Amino acid sequence: MYLNSTMSTNSRQQLRFPTSPVFYWACLAILLFSACSEEEEPTPTVDRYEFRVPENFPAPTYTFENNPITKAGFQLGKALFYDPNLSRDGSVSCNNCHIQATAFADSPVHPLSVGVDNRLGIRNAPPLVNMAFFPEFFWDGGVTHLDFVPINAIESEVEMDETVENVVAKLNGSEKYRQLFKEAFDVEEVTLPFALHALSQFTNRMISANSRYDQYIREEGESLSALELEGFSVFKAKCGACHSGELFTDFSYRNNGLDSTFADTGRNRITALESDIGKFRVPSLRNVALTSPYMHNARFGTLEEVLDHYNNGMVYYKTLDEGLIQPDGRLGIDLDASEKEAIIAFLYTLTDTEFTRDTLFFSN
Amino acid sequence: MKLFNQFSILLFAITFLAFSACNNDDDNNPTETPGTISVFLDNKLGDERISMKESGSKDYQLTDQDGQSYNISLFAYYVSEIELLGPNGTQYLDPLNVSPNAEEVTGYYHVISTTPNSNVINLENVEAGTYDKIRFTVGVNESGVQQGAAGGVLDPANGAWFWNWNAGYIGFGVEGSASNSGQEYVDRGNGFETLEGTYAVHVGGWKDVEPAPGEDKKFVNNIKVIELDFDSAISIKEGLTPQVHINVDFAEILKGIDFSTTYSVHRPDLGKPFAEKLINVFELDHVHQ
Repeated sequence: MYLNSTMSTNSRQQLRFPTSPVFYWACLAILLFSACSEEEEPTPTVDRYEFRVPENFPAPTYTFENNPITKAGFQLGKALFYDPNLSRDGSVSCNNCHIQATAFADSPVHPLSVGVDNRLGIRNAPPLVNMAFFPEFFWDGGVTHLDFVPINAIESEVEMDETVENVVAKLNGSEKYRQLFKEAFDVEEVTLPFALHALSQFTNRMISANSRYDQYIREEGESLSALELEGFSVFKAKCGACHSGELFTDFSYRNNGLDSTFADTGRNRITALESDIGKFRVPSLRNVALTSPYMHNARFGTLEEVLDHYNNGMVYYKTLDEGLIQPDGRLGIDLDASEKEAIIAFLYTLTDTEFTRDTLFFSN
Repeated sequence: MKLFNQFSILLFAITFLAFSACNNDDDNNPTETPGTISVFLDNKLGDERISMKESGSKDYQLTDQDGQSYNISLFAYYVSEIELLGPNGTQYLDPLNVSPNAEEVTGYYHVISTTPNSNVINLENVEAGTYDKIRFTVGVNESGVQQGAAGGVLDPANGAWFWNWNAGYIGFGVEGSASNSGQEYVDRGNGFETLEGTYAVHVGGWKDVEPAPGEDKKFVNNIKVIELDFDSAISIKEGLTPQVHINVDFAEILKGIDFSTTYSVHRPDLGKPFAEKLINVFELDHVHQ
């Protein structure tokens, strides 16, 4: 579970019972209360499809008033997500580039997306978690509503290379899908907006908020080791300006010094501004230990390489983020070996294996 | 209790006054049955009706002041947020609704050359009264985009003109051929091709996000609101069928274009000079009862 061997001793320590007297008083109170009730209370059934905002998260951005998550809608979205028939030749599903074991990022063996006819994309597929809280999507933020995200994957010639019209025709030709759409939305005919709503229901439910970090920050009995806490502290001081908040991103677009010439100009593709050349979205770092390789172009294979880049690997271009230029003109962020080790130990606490193993998202 | 009673009286008084104020407007009696009105968007090229040509056709319809000859093979634009305004401050807003269910989408109209009669917009259940002005939006603005996937004329699988990558609707688009177009033949694969000598001007871009202090403006918002005065006031009530005729002159949006260099416009910033001309494209021709 924890890939960093230096942490395994510590993680075992987390299994010890809480020592706080409050905990035992609370247990006693619960026992007494249970004894008083004459009948056994039925266990409340948890609606696993309901969208709940984790206590430590910001407000969601998605328009749930138009499209709340229902069991039937979620199940339809799941069927679509895993269905390669969304692609031109039936070879590529959403799942090809977004797999649950890596928090719905791509497999490390696909640094760049692989589409129909083994066509190679230009960017690393990012993880699909906590998207209900994102204001914009893709590395360049060109899409501003989650519903419109899948259209890009379907119609991109290096991804699924299919038209949305054909997808709708294929789905309408399937008795199974007509039934699923009927159950989810009470419609007789398959249409694109309902398919997109179903996919959004499935992806909106992908909330990853139960890492050791979360349990620590919500004071649920988890604690972090001295090294992890040291890493948290260094992280906040040296990385937290951009990787801010509980999603560990400020959703801004920045040039972090990867290149001085750009085949993929990033945010500039959307704004057409010269000042946005080479800028890409600051990624969320949740589950970052699982989502190698790193950066929009999959430049780095390990977190160590990423931190080495920030420390002394930067290349200057006129749009390089000001926060990465030191007063004396040196580029990057000063990080010594022990700080890097601590930051990486902290980043591993952002891994949420309950999410990556949640059977709710398994293909039926 | 006493306070509550005084408050109630005040509330009653305010309500009564507000209600009386509405009734003072003789032109719009709410008790009168609502009526209908038809808005005809008469698409033209200069003074003539558009003679639609096949894509790539060298049969040109118009020669402009710069000696460029061109024709039109395809056009489409969105009209939304239609408002009728009256002389005494009366106002009718065509209800807007975005929904994945096509039947529930209202207030968005896609005038498209391949769909007969899409240029006639029938407004029903319009509050009875006198109106002398129409206002509408060309394009689909933020409120239409940011509610997510929609059906009907906003469904990309059902003919909506939609940009995937820089997501949003193409507010105004025109394609055709020009005698001096710099466009070369391009095979786009899967049966799609761009023919030699053609042009395409697609105007989109709806974001209106103010930049942070010290930053450049990030986005180009090409959504335009058009306001046209009627040549005479019209009456809307049950039994009447008033019509508004608006000329939509495509020569105006293409005025000043140099087809030899500008033949492929598919980005908000490139579309901006064309969006600025939309105000000249729509012109009231006449109204009649």
